Amino acid sequence: MQELQYFKPKCLSDALELLNKHGKDIRILAGGTDLIIALKDKLIISPNILDIKAIEELQSISFSTEEGLSIGAAVSLNDIINSNEVIENYPILVEGAKNLANSLLRNRATLVGNLCNASPGGDMLSPSIVLEGIAEIASIDGTRKVPLKEFFIGVKKTILKENEIVTKVIYPFIKGKGKYLRKSRIKGHDLAQVAVAAFLKSDGGLNITVGAAGPTPVIVKVINNIDILKNEEEIIEKVKSAISPISDQRASKEYRTAMVEYLTKQILKELGEVV
Amino acid sequence: MKEKIHLYVNGEEVFAEIAPNKTLLYLLREELGLTGTKEGCGAGECGACTVILNGKAINSCLVMALEAAEGEVFTIEGEARNGELSILQKSFIKHNGLQCGFCTPGMVMSARALLNRNSSPSRDEIIEAMQGNLCRCTGYESIIESVEAAAQGEADIVKLYALDLKAKGE
Repeated sequence: MQELQYFKPKCLSDALELLNKHGKDIRILAGGTDLIIALKDKLIISPNILDIKAIEELQSISFSTEEGLSIGAAVSLNDIINSNEVIENYPILVEGAKNLANSLLRNRATLVGNLCNASPGGDMLSPSIVLEGIAEIASIDGTRKVPLKEFFIGVKKTILKENEIVTKVIYPFIKGKGKYLRKSRIKGHDLAQVAVAAFLKSDGGLNITVGAAGPTPVIVKVINNIDILKNEEEIIEKVKSAISPISDQRASKEYRTAMVEYLTKQILKELGEVV
Repeated sequence: MKEKIHLYVNGEEVFAEIAPNKTLLYLLREELGLTGTKEGCGAGECGACTVILNGKAINSCLVMALEAAEGEVFTIEGEARNGELSILQKSFIKHNGLQCGFCTPGMVMSARALLNRNSSPSRDEIIEAMQGNLCRCTGYESIIESVEAAAQGEADIVKLYALDLKAKGE
């Protein structure tokens, strides 16, 4: 690994100063499960790393029905899996997190890190989008909020500017039921070949997002007040026309398309039975 | 340029100097001589480098040494006490939980972290906790049995200790 300087500020304002000062020459270290591998393989060259785990305001999970769920940038996936508030109110996040790698990695890896890494198959992306999550982004210029459906712009590319950091993700409290299913070659040791998340709101709206079937998570246009069992075929056609999968080392284009159809069908069946 | 680091390893206070681009695994093996922790893939896939950092089992190849500053690290060297193997280690031997042994330190540390927070894990909980540790020899069944038996063995010791205290009227 190249030589580097390591920073671990205790407050957010110091972190924002460092980000602003070093720009593209500093990388944020949260769980490190993507960054450290990339530094070792020299896929990322960065003379400075900014460890954000000592910043208290990034460490918490909080929930209320008015404010929704807020998860800080330094919160690990296992902390999310073990949070009663998440288990009770946002079980689809637990489903996503439990699919991500294995327990050793989940003790380090963070939700926000998975989102910012922006791999099209990242397990937290699709569940977070169907839950209508919002990224809270900070820089020395102030803060802004961006819906996650507008956050991803390409393979490993987000709308984040060089001096910005996602401090937390906020999930509004929406009544309904979600489901996340993914297909991979080996459980625990492989990225998704494809992944489908759906959230059926109690008011009838249906959000669907497909992972690893395009350069960014594929957001299927919201379908309002639809009987999902009666209109299964129409919904699946919508999903299939939205995706643009490629063939790579994990799966062929044809296999991905077939599996998206299959997983969507499974999810619709399960969500349809609740209503 | 090295930086000073202060942490606790297997209960002992450690002061060391380490370059910021070195991992916790490097610190343990190359600076502290604790070579029980192995490097397998170096990319968080195999779990051979598993140690317990602040109560959680982690891949030490994917943690920078400086991230562990002021932390508490337990490695396989801390598992045996006073020269005697722990119940967990004896259980791996008794139930053939190892063949070549390369994955074993990592397996034992993942199991130790699990048993520390859950003294009577279900089979599924054991499988989930050990999912990040690969073994190319055993086929896993004997490893799961080793951990199950160790949980029972540790529970029995606690029971015996409680009975002993009761008998002494404490």
